[in-house]
Amino acid sequence: METVLQQVINGLSLGSVYALIAVGYSLVYSILLFSNFAHGGFLVIGGYICYFILRSIGGGIWIASLAALMGAGFCAVLTEKLAYKPIRERTNVTLYLLIASMGMSIVIENIFVIIAGGRFRALPPVIPTQPVSLFGIATTSMFDILSLVTAVVFLSGLQIFLTRTKWGLAIRAAAYDLRVAGLMGVNVNRLISIVFFTAGLLAAVGGIFLSVRYTLYPQLGLITIKAFIAAVIGGLGSLPGAVVGSLILGLAEMLTAGFISSQMRDLVVFLLLVITLLIRPTGLFGKDVKEKV
Amino acid sequence: MFGGYTEGIIILLCINSIAAMGVSLLTGFTGIFTLGHAGYMALGAYVSSLLIMKAGMPWLAGIFLGGTGAMLVAWLVGIPTLKLMGDYYAIASIGLGEAIRLILENWQSVTRGARGVPGIPPYTTLPVALAFFLVMAFAMFCLINSRYGRAFKACRDDYLAASLLGFNTAKLRVLSLAISGFYCGVAGALLAGFLSFIQPIMFDMIKSTELTSVVVFGGLGSMSGTLIGTGIITLVTELFRPISQYRMLIYGAVIVIIMIFRPEGIMGQKELGKTFFRDLTRRLKPADKRHGGGVKR
Amino acid sequence: MKRVCVLGVFLVLFVSFLAGPAFAADTVKIGYLAALTGDWAAYGQTELKSAQLAVEEINSAGGVNGMKIELVPYDFRTRAEDAVNAVRRMIEEDKVSAIVGANGSGINIATAAVVNKAGVSQIGTVSTNPFVTMDESGKVRPYSFRICFTDPYQGKLIAYFSARELGRLKAAILYDVGNDYSQGLREFFMKSYGNYGGKVVADLGFRGGQDVDFRAQLTEIRKSGADVLVLPNMGKEMALIMKQARELGMDEIVFVGGDGYGEFMWEIAGDAMENSYWINHVAPEDPAMQPFFASYREKYNDECKEFVNGILAYDAMYLVADAIKRANSTDPKAVRDALEKTENLELHHAVITMDEFHNPKDKDGVVLVAKDGRGQFFKKIKPE
Repeated sequence: METVLQQVINGLSLGSVYALIAVGYSLVYSILLFSNFAHGGFLVIGGYICYFILRSIGGGIWIASLAALMGAGFCAVLTEKLAYKPIRERTNVTLYLLIASMGMSIVIENIFVIIAGGRFRALPPVIPTQPVSLFGIATTSMFDILSLVTAVVFLSGLQIFLTRTKWGLAIRAAAYDLRVAGLMGVNVNRLISIVFFTAGLLAAVGGIFLSVRYTLYPQLGLITIKAFIAAVIGGLGSLPGAVVGSLILGLAEMLTAGFISSQMRDLVVFLLLVITLLIRPTGLFGKDVKEKV
Repeated sequence: MFGGYTEGIIILLCINSIAAMGVSLLTGFTGIFTLGHAGYMALGAYVSSLLIMKAGMPWLAGIFLGGTGAMLVAWLVGIPTLKLMGDYYAIASIGLGEAIRLILENWQSVTRGARGVPGIPPYTTLPVALAFFLVMAFAMFCLINSRYGRAFKACRDDYLAASLLGFNTAKLRVLSLAISGFYCGVAGALLAGFLSFIQPIMFDMIKSTELTSVVVFGGLGSMSGTLIGTGIITLVTELFRPISQYRMLIYGAVIVIIMIFRPEGIMGQKELGKTFFRDLTRRLKPADKRHGGGVKR
Repeated sequence: MKRVCVLGVFLVLFVSFLAGPAFAADTVKIGYLAALTGDWAAYGQTELKSAQLAVEEINSAGGVNGMKIELVPYDFRTRAEDAVNAVRRMIEEDKVSAIVGANGSGINIATAAVVNKAGVSQIGTVSTNPFVTMDESGKVRPYSFRICFTDPYQGKLIAYFSARELGRLKAAILYDVGNDYSQGLREFFMKSYGNYGGKVVADLGFRGGQDVDFRAQLTEIRKSGADVLVLPNMGKEMALIMKQARELGMDEIVFVGGDGYGEFMWEIAGDAMENSYWINHVAPEDPAMQPFFASYREKYNDECKEFVNGILAYDAMYLVADAIKRANSTDPKAVRDALEKTENLELHHAVITMDEFHNPKDKDGVVLVAKDGRGQFFKKIKPE
């Protein structure tokens, strides 16, 4: 029983970090209908900005995080303007955007290979990680609790932004139909910039937590493939779906590793993905996109 | 006439072209986007090398059985999963491709897991690779110009209209996947014979995305574009070898730039042939720009 | 028209590339195969920098036989097919006399076919898999060498040290399923551990690269009651495992690892590193290596944190230079013969004699203990 509880706690804390990243995938998908594989790159950018400010300039964690969030958001907007905008203005085939995003993820990764080197770097211990005992039956770390809290704070912040502000309303409208939203007087380009900024910002939050926990290196973005799968399981384009999908994935990973076999862990993840798609292609909370005739 | 280096590049070019033709049939001609075809290469490579080494099969039979094995798996996997349309199949294919690789990694008693299979007889020589390439390219060009090829294109251009016209679209899609699985399987088997050593890690998602980006780069719906695309990408990565660290950066940038300035790929939907050169000499007008404006499908 | 131009440019590039570079007679070329991009970039970049340092030193001391060494480094982005082309290019285009690298056994096995056919020696730096220098039928590969010890030996060292020196007989092992080095080392550890009276109570895997969370496996290990955790992995994973183990409150278990140890692990794992043991090729405080670290720091304004790769790459260059000197020729075949006859060659980190399987003979295992923020020399061991 204790082990089950321990694995469930492990799973939830892993899921909460996935959620921050998965939400970014879903947000971009809901507007532009493509999976932005450069999303992992934004995370790496956030991580490195935080690292350099902490190590070289010597700012505090708050300044470093703020700069990382803004920087990653800005880079996300820049990526959109440089790479995606010319494509989406020219054609409406989302496949091209997908391929361009893969190219961008290679570019971002290798920029860091060149300027920062391939070495694994760890952020200074800015976030406490000491073990915390939960009622004496399971152990977790201060870090997990903080990451869970941060995920909740940022995700509810996003929810408030989407439901209570004018731009949030515009984003939700655009998620139904971007063109119609444009016709109704929404500045589509600015809207897309805001979406990418938000996605980059959330990615940077995930990036800081991931690099504290798992170190920082140019290929760190690759692990976002799991978060992407979580977004798909929850239903691409749905924010609650991304969160629920992340928690399911985190739990599935930990429980498989703990009770079946640790080698089967990734296999289960990928099979879960395929099975979800077969039974409910739009994921748990996805909106039904009808093919237009 | 050629040194070993040039020979190596040509062999690799042949192997990559065979795999890319398979992906091109599926993505460019049938309109099914995949991100997991390295899995079929892995199957071809493992089936053929294990048959050759453990069952003592002649290598030619091994290559064919490797291709057939990949085709069989593609067919079985395709029946349920090809019901998915658009991006959703692409996402599922990531899962399928990775699952194949993970099974190979975990099934240690047969595949030796991550340590790989060493000592595969080096049967992929230049003539073998060239012969396979020529035969398979010829077959592919025949296929895309046949009744089936047109049916595939009909599936791609308008799935509903094609089925209304009486095409069994579901079957055609599975068929296209099976054939592309065969091409990738053969390519994998040839790669095993070229390297004489295989490891599951060689067939990861990066390899899959490379295959697909080459096809898009060359032009969706152009088989000769696929071949040109493979050639250019292979040469670019070789040419930039001396500036080692910057090589992958350039590779990524080339993909993005092509998508920005010529998303339809180098060749668009045209084939290299008589009409192409005639058009060229007439100084073709700049590539037609389709005005999308919106981003919805 | 634009299209014709583009095609033309590519044609010109292709032709110029077939023509190959000019051949200079007063230099001797040595190829260096390193992963400069991709997952192993941290190690590959350090190796290349250290090799370049060695080349500079050798050249400023007059070169070998009056010739300057020219390093020809190529990246292989951790892919075997790319490495095969890189090696072919070194041999065919650059006419290298020998090749050093790569930093991964799988790559060395894949390139072995090429170098042995072409007759140019290749010296693996940290390629510990037995098949690097030996083919499947157990015959030595004539042109394949290495400067490190092998996995069977290393596995035995870890088993001997855990069971005999530490007296810990209940081991848990956590290895990377997707990594050939890790799989091999685990296998050889398990083979020897029983002979020393130990028992493996938990044998768990993970997948490097994507898996960065090991708490599920660690929870299992805690349940199994193991008193030593054997880590045959790459540095990043080992550091993460140790950190997460301590976060889960596993304070009693002792960590013993292999040559994946790197100083950068301290940044990741922090205090969790304390009192862990590492079986390794070299000790960073080896007095003989201090000049190397100093010049590395001076030249690159950076610490050589992946010191195992750095030192082995550095000494591999001296090994090749010595062979060229003794062969008194740049002919790859003569260089190979000289390499094979290497005897009691005093390098910086060890004295090297090649055995009949092209492995350095009787290399000591160095045990490091992690204390006070760095890996310190603990003792040299030779298993019974």
